[in-house]
Amino acid sequence: MSSYSPAVFTKAEIVQASRTADWLILTLTFLVFTGGFHVHAMLTMGDWDFWSDWKDRRLWVTVTPIMCITFPAAVQYYLWGKLRLPFGATITILGLLFGEWVNRYFNFWGWTYFPINFVWAATMVPGAIILDVILLWSKSYIVTAVVGGLGFGLIFYPGNWVMLAPLHQPVEYHGMAMTLADIQGYHYVRTGTPEYIRFVEKGSLRTFGKDVVPVSAFFSGFICVLIYFIWHFFGRWFCTTKYLTEY
Amino acid sequence: MSKTAMIKRVGRWAAAGLAMVVGATGLYAPEASAHGEKSQQAFLRMRTLHWYDLKWSTDKLKVNEKMTVSGKFHVFKNWPETTANPQYSPAFLNIGIPGPVFTRQESYIGGQFVPRSVNLTLGENYTFKVVLQARRPGRWHMHTMMNVEAAGPIIGPGKWVQIEGTMADYKSEVQTLTGRTEDVERVGTAGIWGWSWFWFLFGCAWIAYWAMKPLFIPRYLAVKEGVPEDELVSPMDVKVGLGFGVAAIVIVAVSYMSANATYPVTIPLQAGVIGVMDPIPAGAPAVEIGLEQATYRVPGRSVNIKIRVTNRGVNPVQVAEFETAGIRFLNPTVYKDDTNYPPQLLAPEGLSVDDNSPILPGHSRVITVTCTDAAWENERLADAIYDPDARFGGLFFFLDTSGFRHVVAIGGPLLPRFT
Repeated sequence: MSSYSPAVFTKAEIVQASRTADWLILTLTFLVFTGGFHVHAMLTMGDWDFWSDWKDRRLWVTVTPIMCITFPAAVQYYLWGKLRLPFGATITILGLLFGEWVNRYFNFWGWTYFPINFVWAATMVPGAIILDVILLWSKSYIVTAVVGGLGFGLIFYPGNWVMLAPLHQPVEYHGMAMTLADIQGYHYVRTGTPEYIRFVEKGSLRTFGKDVVPVSAFFSGFICVLIYFIWHFFGRWFCTTKYLTEY
Repeated sequence: MSKTAMIKRVGRWAAAGLAMVVGATGLYAPEASAHGEKSQQAFLRMRTLHWYDLKWSTDKLKVNEKMTVSGKFHVFKNWPETTANPQYSPAFLNIGIPGPVFTRQESYIGGQFVPRSVNLTLGENYTFKVVLQARRPGRWHMHTMMNVEAAGPIIGPGKWVQIEGTMADYKSEVQTLTGRTEDVERVGTAGIWGWSWFWFLFGCAWIAYWAMKPLFIPRYLAVKEGVPEDELVSPMDVKVGLGFGVAAIVIVAVSYMSANATYPVTIPLQAGVIGVMDPIPAGAPAVEIGLEQATYRVPGRSVNIKIRVTNRGVNPVQVAEFETAGIRFLNPTVYKDDTNYPPQLLAPEGLSVDDNSPILPGHSRVITVTCTDAAWENERLADAIYDPDARFGGLFFFLDTSGFRHVVAIGGPLLPRFT
């Protein structure tokens, strides 16, 4: 039998083979983004999401969505542009979260014994759903970038507040005001991450007073719009076989 | 090469590799015994922080029990200019342990609680104390440690401590300013698991909706052939999508309001340098010393320090001890250690003086102090003569006849002698 002979003959066999390919591709896609997106996220915003005492109302809110709208934008371009499938953002974010949770559970907790409530991964699923739904509804990358990108940045903090709020309860600890997250950072010794390395809101004459979160979230959403544009071009430029000389 | 032969070759190499791994780890797998402190250049360890009067309150305890590491440290005046110093860079009093096997419950410099970074003054001495609660059973090497921003970790002497019990019993409760009692180890954990799973499954449901239909190959071909978009994305698909989107927004809004109702009082993370710490008060020094010459004799593993000592006090004094990089050389005729100091860092008879008689008040004398011990080699301090800045630093401890101890820092060039 030639290697080019068809393996399926009837319509039922074709449908069966196609569905098998669907699930294989879907699983592989998920795992590829679990690896690739996870590495990207750890390198660009790792510590902000590793520790509860880095999840502040200024930089965590700003940096995390900006760094995490990247892969969704690129993958949305391919899945919608080539397949009319509107789950590019969700599948990449789920892959990222799966990778992050594997890391947090087996590495941070199982290996080095940091408690989960100190090293939990922030969720970005609501923002991803919004990105996908806006694309599905508008069928436009521009609208998705402007409305979806803004929504992706805006919904990040409120989407995670239900998990973060218990850790921001105030405590008087040996005469100083601290949040429970601060106490966690103090209790659970990190020899390689001393306190001064924390890149969190410290306040200055150039920052707003009480209403830090809305300003940060809007800024994050605004930058997300720009990042979406840039990364959707990565999808446009690189979801092609023209770079392969032989395939 | 045929496919079968290739598989056999790969199998043989894999088996050999596995055998090497099992053999290497099964026959010789020593426990990690330090934190890499010896890898730091000797001149940096001798001329930055000097830890002394260290006490570990115990070396064996059970989960939830507390222990204290306390003592003093001297911030060396001639801190290497190549390394950021804590007078201008924030410094954080840390503890060198392998992860959160203990939790740090309290830490103090000069009696002030220091959960965050501080500044220290060059040339001054400080008291410190760290209170730790045992969390994870095992035998752990515990170092004193100070992190200095832009410089890195400065590790002090280490000691083995044994923890017994079960980590599941660990508990650390605090009371919030709103009156709740919360276990720092467990607060919010159920919500974190619950909401993380919920959103993960929510996202999976969105993908599952589309995965019920033909996905990749048929759609790719359809798009390529110009099949109208309406045939690939129906009005019902859009409605379902809008349903998911609205549901996501509503659920986020409800969870946000619910969290605010449950925790109406929250504050932001606290950050910022606490300030400049108060050193141990020091009057005019009763003992002054000046370095004449210091040499390291390589074959004998000994350092000879020739100094001029001037006694401006009211009692005769003698050299009791020389300390550098955590290693203590004791003059056995003057001082004996009873603090259970780590033995690899203690030379109980390692110090001798050419003229050991007391230096009388108002007198000045040139003496040669010889510090000899294998620790110079073992702790890699002898490498100072191969460092790019072959200078040393340390603390001299003088005892006067009233029992009072005078601590004096010294530093300068270190000349090698190879014969």
